[in-house]
Amino acid sequence: MTAEVAQLQRHAEEEASRFPALLARAEHLAGTVLLGEHGRRRSGQGDDFWQYRPMRPGDSVRQIDWRRSARSDDQFVREREWQIAQSVLVWVDPGASMRFASDAGLETKAARARLTALAAAILLIRGGERVGLTGWHLPPRRGNAQIERLAQMLSVEDTDDYAIPEARGMLPHARAIFISDFMSDLAPIEAAMTKAADRGVRGAMLQVLDPSEEAFPFQGRTIFESVAGSVAHETLKASDLRDRYTSRLNARRDHLRQLCRVTGWHFHCHHTNDSAQSALLWLYRALDGSHG
Amino acid sequence: MTLFGLIGFASPWLLAALAALPILWLILRAVPPAPIRRRFPGVVLLLGLKDDTQVSDRTPWWLLLLRMLAVAAVIIGLAGPVLNPNEDAAAGTGDGPVLIVMDASWASAADWRTREAAVAQILGQAGRAGRPVGLLRLSAPETPRFQAADALAARLTGITPEAWAPNTDLLPDVQSVLPEGRFDSFWISDGLDRPDRAAILEVLEDRGTVTVFENTRAVVALEPVVAVDGALEATTRRSVAGDALNLTLAGHGTDPAGNPAVLVRVPVAFEGDATETVTQFSVPAELRARITRFEIEGVSSAGAVALPDDALRRREIALIAGREDREGLELLSPLHYLRQALSPTADLLEGALTESLPANPDVVILADVATLSAAEEDALLDWLDQGGLLVRFAGPRLAASDVSRDAEDPLMPVRLRAGGRSVGGAMSWGAPKSVAPFPDDSPFHGLPIPEDVVVNSQVMAQPDPTLADRVIAQLTDGTPLVTRKPVGDGQVILFHVTANAEWSTLPLSGLFVRLLERLAVSASVSQPLPEDLEGTTWQAQLVLDGFGDPRDGGDLAGIDGPTLVSAALGPDLPPGIYQGEDRALARNVVTPETVLAPTAWPPRIAVEGLSQPRERPLGGWLLALAAVLLAADVLASLALSGRLRGPRATAAGLAAALVLVSLATGVARAQDAGDALALEATAEVVLAHVLTGDARVDEIARAGLYGLSQTLYFRTSVEPADPVGVDLERDELAFFPFLYWPVTASQAIPSDAAYAKLNTYLRSGGMILFDTRDADIAGFGANTPEGRMLQQLARPLDIPPLEPVPADHVLTRTFYLLQEFPGRYAGRELWVEAAPPDAQLIDGMPFRNLNDNVTPIVIGGNDWASAWAMDETGNPLEAMGAGFSGERQREIAYRFGVNLVMHVLTGNYKSDQVHVPALLDRLGQ
Repeated sequence: MTAEVAQLQRHAEEEASRFPALLARAEHLAGTVLLGEHGRRRSGQGDDFWQYRPMRPGDSVRQIDWRRSARSDDQFVREREWQIAQSVLVWVDPGASMRFASDAGLETKAARARLTALAAAILLIRGGERVGLTGWHLPPRRGNAQIERLAQMLSVEDTDDYAIPEARGMLPHARAIFISDFMSDLAPIEAAMTKAADRGVRGAMLQVLDPSEEAFPFQGRTIFESVAGSVAHETLKASDLRDRYTSRLNARRDHLRQLCRVTGWHFHCHHTNDSAQSALLWLYRALDGSHG
Repeated sequence: MTLFGLIGFASPWLLAALAALPILWLILRAVPPAPIRRRFPGVVLLLGLKDDTQVSDRTPWWLLLLRMLAVAAVIIGLAGPVLNPNEDAAAGTGDGPVLIVMDASWASAADWRTREAAVAQILGQAGRAGRPVGLLRLSAPETPRFQAADALAARLTGITPEAWAPNTDLLPDVQSVLPEGRFDSFWISDGLDRPDRAAILEVLEDRGTVTVFENTRAVVALEPVVAVDGALEATTRRSVAGDALNLTLAGHGTDPAGNPAVLVRVPVAFEGDATETVTQFSVPAELRARITRFEIEGVSSAGAVALPDDALRRREIALIAGREDREGLELLSPLHYLRQALSPTADLLEGALTESLPANPDVVILADVATLSAAEEDALLDWLDQGGLLVRFAGPRLAASDVSRDAEDPLMPVRLRAGGRSVGGAMSWGAPKSVAPFPDDSPFHGLPIPEDVVVNSQVMAQPDPTLADRVIAQLTDGTPLVTRKPVGDGQVILFHVTANAEWSTLPLSGLFVRLLERLAVSASVSQPLPEDLEGTTWQAQLVLDGFGDPRDGGDLAGIDGPTLVSAALGPDLPPGIYQGEDRALARNVVTPETVLAPTAWPPRIAVEGLSQPRERPLGGWLLALAAVLLAADVLASLALSGRLRGPRATAAGLAAALVLVSLATGVARAQDAGDALALEATAEVVLAHVLTGDARVDEIARAGLYGLSQTLYFRTSVEPADPVGVDLERDELAFFPFLYWPVTASQAIPSDAAYAKLNTYLRSGGMILFDTRDADIAGFGANTPEGRMLQQLARPLDIPPLEPVPADHVLTRTFYLLQEFPGRYAGRELWVEAAPPDAQLIDGMPFRNLNDNVTPIVIGGNDWASAWAMDETGNPLEAMGAGFSGERQREIAYRFGVNLVMHVLTGNYKSDQVHVPALLDRLGQ
């Protein structure tokens, strides 16, 4: 277990090291006011310089910036930019359906999902964000210790075939990342999203699929089983099912995309035969808010 | 049961099972393939999807066909099909014993396998009919013993053809060995007509029916290869004219390393209607001497092999001269008269001794060669021990050398007195000597001596107890002219005069040629008559079997000489090479007298071809086919059900890819370092120095030659490239006109191979400047380590007599006018090749017409390299003397270097400048 955790962490750090620090842009400020390195474009209690302003009555003499004041007749006060930190909550599908790879050369979906999530978490933590898991087990914190705790918690696996998103314990107006194959019932997903939207939480939804799940390259008489074995389906001619399967998959994806659009989330579908970096890049952009 | 008379079945009723195939088709078609269980997370999306049809994927028709074919192949294979069933053969019908008569001659060896097969077929048929079988070979007739067919079949592979043809008067032999009673005969003929064929046929027909088996293919035979006008001529014949036929004649022998090899291949083409073709081809003499047999490739018969004997050989003579670079002075060349005398009857090898000896020449002639390196001497002695003939001629070098002076040289027949003698010259008393009549025990006895043969100079033998025995020709005053000494199986012969006309008129006379002939230097060989061989005994060295394969004949009894050349080949006289006392004779199977004609059998005799279709059971093949089909079915089924994916497909792909990759692999060839050196050294003039192993000395030598090269570049039209250091053991020396050899006390003595290379270099016009760097060698003192080292180094070198540079030597005026040759030391004399004693000062000339050649050796001790040495910017590296006089000495040293290189590069051109005034005078007239 320890070795697995260490390996996951090492891989994730490798992935994360390829990116500049991610500064999530907070749009909103509310109760989650904590100091951080995010410029709010207004004066406050940050470290970075914001502007000089003429001294006004009520300002204490201690606040005068003497170096600036000496260049003119007026006294100036130096103001600093107000900075805050953002909380990011991560949910990675622990279900058995994620532990699937159609080819020995491919990663399982679970491995890819964990890797992407942790890499994003590292980027965020380096950027000064606080990252945690949804639910009550790991609230958002900062620092390298949190990376290790995240790695450990992400490695916990569920025995059920399909897990439903955990939407509890969400801080209001935080950001969230959901990574899953989203093969489970749509109703719990919708419920979780609605709950998140109610709390003003916005974020990114990353669907991780195996290439065989997209292409359905099967033929002949086949019995399909879920990974944990809870669901099975037998067909006499698998190739006949391909079109209908694909249309169902696309319909589900469209539904998720629609859901995201309504709640202000970002949606992306990632395949395990693509590079992990593309998924991380998308997450980076989605959380940065510069796209969509 | 037979099908179209072509295929029969052992158990035909099994074929009824073929009727079950359509039923199998229906069953296989109805049963769907087994389902595959797959893990697939997307299964939730499949839930509720119904199959369009309730029928599964049908097994495709071609897969069904594959399986049907496999089953059909099994059924038919088990039914025991036989191709070409032979059900009514002659030996299978009738009763009574069967006699197989085989010619078993060389002519039947080429297709002996088919004859064996024919005999095996007869044996099989006779065995099934229960008839006893006997075997009679006409080439070695013995009373046949009738026995069970399979007993004879077991011995069949031991029956081989003989290398000779049946006797011409065979009838009595056959009559005497034929068994009593009636029998049917099967005659396996070799296809050649013989006089007593009809008689034997009659004898056999008296006893029962006769069937003849004969191959329709022509018998190919090779006559002995003869030498005609320097080329080789091979006559190939065949018994029947037919289509055009292309064959290859191969000459087998040993390569220089002694391994068997094909030395020459010549195409032999028969025209369509020709039964004989003559092929002319020329082979280098050196190869020709090594050819041990000719054969027609692909025809394994003793008749297709021709063994060459001495008649084919020209004697090979290696000519070695001390120095050979006298351009244009053909008549003075030490080898000219030898070449003239020997080239009509012998093949001449000219080149270095170490290159000629591996060709194993019959005779080596050394014309005025004094010193040989240790390696050359050892090789010569080995060669002499094996019967070589070494002929040496004296000359100025031999006279001036120390060879065989104090102790007898192993390669000289006598000890020599220093200097030789001149008689009849301007400075000597007495008249030129003529040749005394040859004594009785001399090999030259009886040769007439022309009046005009006179000897002016000769080398003199030391009086020794053995001298009288060794003289085989002498002058009228009793001094030896030719001496001889046996060495091992060979002998050494010394002519005490030169091989050119300088010392005597002997080479100008016919006597010279006859002397050489008597010495068997230029012997000619012709086929002997039986009378010539009366009383001689010949031992077979190598004999041929019927297939033409050679084997050692040492275990055979000796053959009487007349018998050898006149008797017919037979068990007592197999074809082969027979060795006599002094020559070898070959007996070949086919001679120009051999008749090759097809047999004309009477029409009443049934003649059958040998190549009858053989019975061939097909069951095994069909079962194998079924196995292959089933294997294909496995793969196809896997592919169909989607299981041929992932690792399985990868493995199959890998196997195919491996084959491709191995084919596409190329071999990178490394650049040959030797080639690089050759290119570098030949693109421009390059001065070279010998690497001594002492880094400091080597560096100074390199810098010195660099300085000299720069000086040459700026002052003369010689524009050398950067100098190189040469490793005597490894590098080729021929590229360098000039070698600077700094002598150090610690350097290693070069190997024998390196000395051979150095001697070749010196003989071919190279120059070595030995520099002992001690300013002392001029006194020839051995009191410095370098001086002693120089003596060691130079001992195995072929160095001409030396003398201190005379004041009128060409070296003093090739570019600058010099009278001294200082280096870092302004030492004493410089030693160069001595002028010939007859060099004369012509009136009005500034200097004598000395050596016409470049002196091969310059020896001094002035440490020139240090004086010449300069760095890349032209600054001298070593201090010289004091002040201006030191610089003046350095300048003179450079001038000496320039003169030296000019001397090397221009040869006698500068010397010839002497004649310019005279030539201008003549033009003016």
